[in-house]
Amino acid sequence: MTMNALKAGNALKAGSVSDVASGAIDGPSRAAAGSDAPARPDRPAGLSSGRWGGVLIRFATAVALPVGAFLLWEIAVDSGFASGRLVPPPSRILTTLVDLWTAGQLVDHIVSTCLRVLLGFLAGAAAGALAGSLTGYFRVAHAVVDPTLQALRAIPSIAWVPLFILWFGIFETSKVVLIATGVFFPVYLGVSTALLSVDRKIVEVGRIFRLSGFDLVRRILFPAVLPAFIVSLRAGLGLGWMFVVAAEFMGASEGLGYLLVDGQQLGKPDQIMAAILIFAVIGKLSDAILVQATAPLVAWQDNFSRGGL
Amino acid sequence: MLALKGLGKTYAGGVQALAGFTLDAPPGEIVAIIGGSGSGKSTLLRLISGLDAPTSGTVSIHGEAVHEPHPLINLIFQEPRLLPWLSVRDNVGFGLAHMPRAEQAARIEEALCRVKLEAYGDRLPKALSGGQAQRVAIARALVTRPEVLLLDEPFSALDALTRETLQQHLLDIWAQTRATMILVTHDIDEAVALAHRVIVLKPWPGRILDNIKIAYPHRRSGVAFDQARARVRSALHQSLSVPAPADIRTVWAQHPSVLETSP
Ligand SMILES: Nc1ncnc2c1ncn2[C@@H]1O[C@H](COP(=O)(O)OP(=O)(O)OP(=O)(O)O)[C@@H](O)[C@H]1O
Ligand SMILES: [Mg+2]
Repeated sequence: MTMNALKAGNALKAGSVSDVASGAIDGPSRAAAGSDAPARPDRPAGLSSGRWGGVLIRFATAVALPVGAFLLWEIAVDSGFASGRLVPPPSRILTTLVDLWTAGQLVDHIVSTCLRVLLGFLAGAAAGALAGSLTGYFRVAHAVVDPTLQALRAIPSIAWVPLFILWFGIFETSKVVLIATGVFFPVYLGVSTALLSVDRKIVEVGRIFRLSGFDLVRRILFPAVLPAFIVSLRAGLGLGWMFVVAAEFMGASEGLGYLLVDGQQLGKPDQIMAAILIFAVIGKLSDAILVQATAPLVAWQDNFSRGGL
Repeated sequence: MLALKGLGKTYAGGVQALAGFTLDAPPGEIVAIIGGSGSGKSTLLRLISGLDAPTSGTVSIHGEAVHEPHPLINLIFQEPRLLPWLSVRDNVGFGLAHMPRAEQAARIEEALCRVKLEAYGDRLPKALSGGQAQRVAIARALVTRPEVLLLDEPFSALDALTRETLQQHLLDIWAQTRATMILVTHDIDEAVALAHRVIVLKPWPGRILDNIKIAYPHRRSGVAFDQARARVRSALHQSLSVPAPADIRTVWAQHPSVLETSP
């Protein structure tokens, strides 16, 4: 075994020597050809025709699974294999959607739910980012505040519902506050831990150039934590959608959560499914918007890229 | 004039990394620091740069004590430590934020030329090779026109060819700027070929074992070069308290199977 390893080592060494030699030969000519020559040949074609095609293919790939499942279920109900009473087939869900739409309520339900999530998300993310920055940057703040926040984080947030209703009434305020609470913790945790784990080596670069205080934050710490911040925003947004349902369960006359409760009480599984479907679509859509909007900010990351589709 | 007086550093936990290090480096001198792993070389540079405070002794430049990073002293780390979110150009200009834009741009282009990376200004660090990244790091230190440049094994992670090219660049830069350079290295040839003076450190605690003036600096051959090389080599082995190691061929002779098998 040792022998083999040594042999492999020798072979490797021989390989690397010849690599160096060939590199030395084509090095200067490549340098003369200009540094970004390799990128040129395949780019322009890809830009003109392939772009929308690529988006289309990506979209088709992404929806293939749910669409396939819907088709199978439709066939199963159609051919009598399943009754479709409790799990209505897609066609019936679609009819329900169209009915709700033409009755003019659907848009109102969607808008009021989205508005609650948006407000709760903005408030929770702002508070989380602020608290996370303070505890991540100031040791004292971390020592004093973090344990308490971690304990609060351990409370299942639904447990706040009765209290929030007592404090803020049953209307919008208590709903938005509940959503904000859900968004707050992942954002807080993300920002705080990211700040605490910024690479000392990069901070030392800032110190060598005599940055301190606000300049250090602005030029080193903020860009360094930006990727983690964006990830925490995505987690927060996800929780925002989760908590809006809880909020709307506690007495709402409008919203997708109301459609769910209403569907349960009146025995309309197709309405429940329709609401769930809308949640899936706008939840995914809001996440995609967040990712797209922030992508240019973190394009510098040297990631393991997924390639392919 | 960079003056180090009785510099010592004991880390929390009691490791005495450096003791009684005294050195006067006149303007324009290149001093190579060589020594085994753990002999306090990086510690020394961190003290001079003001990143860490010494446990004893003082650092001063032009008679002014250095307690924290100083505008006339810059440190090039062992790794490039570029800021990944900035382009090469912005990385190089990192230390110039307080200057007028035009002056910044001029200095950045000048520094990029010095390290022969004029064409790479718009790239992100992730699109650079190791050697290119290290050259950007050198340019980043140069733009502030430091009088003292500290280099912590700047070329040790590079292949032999790139290393020789960068050593040549460094000498070119020195010829133009005449900065004082403290160059930490593991490489005897590098120390002797680049420095006016080679200081050999002995570990635990790190202290000066030998201080060797190089008679004809910046030559890579000749009797004087060989003599200096031999002296640094023997001092280094003395500092490691091991006999000078055998030639690699003797090592292989102890593994006859290696010699017999051809790939
Ligand atoms: N932050 C630290 N805390 C405690 N001990 C340290 C610390 N940094 C270095 N040391 C110890 O101080 C001694 C000198 O370390 P230093 O990094 O200066 O060595 P070096 O000469 O640069 O070694 P190398 O050639 O491996 O880079 C070592 O024994 C090391 O373990
Ligand atoms: Mg070191």
